[in-house]
Amino acid sequence: MIIAQDLSLQYKDGTFGLKNVNITLPKGKLIFITGPSGSGKTSFVKLILGMEKLTSGNLSVLNYDMKNITERELVLLRQDIGPIFQDFKLLDGRSVCDNVLVGMRFLKIEKEDMYEKALKALEKVGLSHKVHSMVENLSYGERQRIAIARAVARDPKIIIADEPTGNLDKNNSLIVLDLLRSFQNEDTTIIITTHATHLIKDVKDSLHIDVEEGNLQYKEAKYE
Amino acid sequence: MNRKVSNFYYYLKEVSTLFKKDLSTNILSLFSLSFIFFILSLVISVGISSQHIIDEIRSQAQISIYYNNEIDPTSIEAKISEIDGVNLVNLISSSQARERMKDVLGTDTRILDLFDYNPFSPYIEVFISLENLDVIVDQVGSIFGVELVRDNQEVLKQLENILNIVTVFGVFIFIAVSIATVVVTAHIIRQGIYLNKDGIGTLRLLGAPTYFIYAPFILTGIILSVLAGIISFIMSYFATDFIYSRLLGSLPFVVLPKFSGLIILLLLFNLLMGISLGFIGSLIGIKSTRTQK
Repeated sequence: MIIAQDLSLQYKDGTFGLKNVNITLPKGKLIFITGPSGSGKTSFVKLILGMEKLTSGNLSVLNYDMKNITERELVLLRQDIGPIFQDFKLLDGRSVCDNVLVGMRFLKIEKEDMYEKALKALEKVGLSHKVHSMVENLSYGERQRIAIARAVARDPKIIIADEPTGNLDKNNSLIVLDLLRSFQNEDTTIIITTHATHLIKDVKDSLHIDVEEGNLQYKEAKYE
Repeated sequence: MNRKVSNFYYYLKEVSTLFKKDLSTNILSLFSLSFIFFILSLVISVGISSQHIIDEIRSQAQISIYYNNEIDPTSIEAKISEIDGVNLVNLISSSQARERMKDVLGTDTRILDLFDYNPFSPYIEVFISLENLDVIVDQVGSIFGVELVRDNQEVLKQLENILNIVTVFGVFIFIAVSIATVVVTAHIIRQGIYLNKDGIGTLRLLGAPTYFIYAPFILTGIILSVLAGIISFIMSYFATDFIYSRLLGSLPFVVLPKFSGLIILLLLFNLLMGISLGFIGSLIGIKSTRTQK
């Protein structure tokens, strides 16, 4: 699924985002990546999404070699990933439904199926009553749930949520984590980065990866 | 197919969103483009009309021969008929000449009533093959009794000079208009892309292909310049209608091209210009932002 070998990411100013990472993230699991701010969680997410180019080592995501990935392959890879960003990256001036649909319009999905998937995802995140609302008129929590619906509606192989609990209180954080867990199945890997370790310590059937000074390691060594 | 139709509807919705996002700039650009197209339409109209008048004069290919009234014109007529390249010879009496002028003058025919006598001389009207004009004029001029051979070469030359100037002027205007349209459209698209760079970034991260991301921008450029073409056409229609009514009222002998034909030509021209220049401008706008990136 995702395999990193001696993976390093060095920024232009010389600092390392990631250093000599060797790790494998298996398919169909719920994986938490934890660590303090600036430890390298987001850097890892950016490498998986192809937003940054690795400096050395190797990284394979869904069998794509990220070191030598072409622009065309990157487009195809991203179509298999459902990203949920910290700032949600919704399209203002468009409706809730349009924001969910836009993630599927260029995939090989028929129009009827596309609408069905969008409505189903919105129902799952509890926003089926706001299908036609404009996103800029919604609350923070609602906007986050639209981002989740957009990510999951297109049945991705990997769902990546970068700090989804970052700006939420404990109750809402747990609701969001439960919601994200509900999308996990044997074909879909869910990767969640968070610095709120206290919220995930009791989550069952999940793998926990610690990031410290640019290095990722499982808390339990079974996937090393 | 169903998805393609649905996506086209999405692109149109995006065009509307993009247009509204920078409404005042887009409206001003639309009217600037409309006036640019209008200027070009006027130049094109003048060019087409001049060419039409020249073609009409050429197609008539006729010379008028004035003779000594003391000589029997039938003998001159017989000699002219024998010349190679002469197609038809008619004797026009002074009263027929007067009637013809009445037709030319139209509503101003009363000017002829001011004369106590018929001021028109009889003449011989000769239809010829235009390529033999010079030889025929020489031969007719040497016939005994012929006093004046009048052809329309001078008029033709003057009109052709005007047409040449209009053509040169038109080519420059065409180039200027094309460049201005492409620059304006490219600028609008570049601005639209800049204003929507976050949305474009999001689409990229979601795996949207380049054509999907930029189709709304290309469509925006095309729609904007086609709208400009339509506005320009409407202005051209009224301007042409006004000019025609004025010209045909005061100069009824001017042979202008058919109004409906000219209008259809202007419509097609404006639409084609709008589509092609809008498309090129959009592509350049997109290309320039991608190069900058």
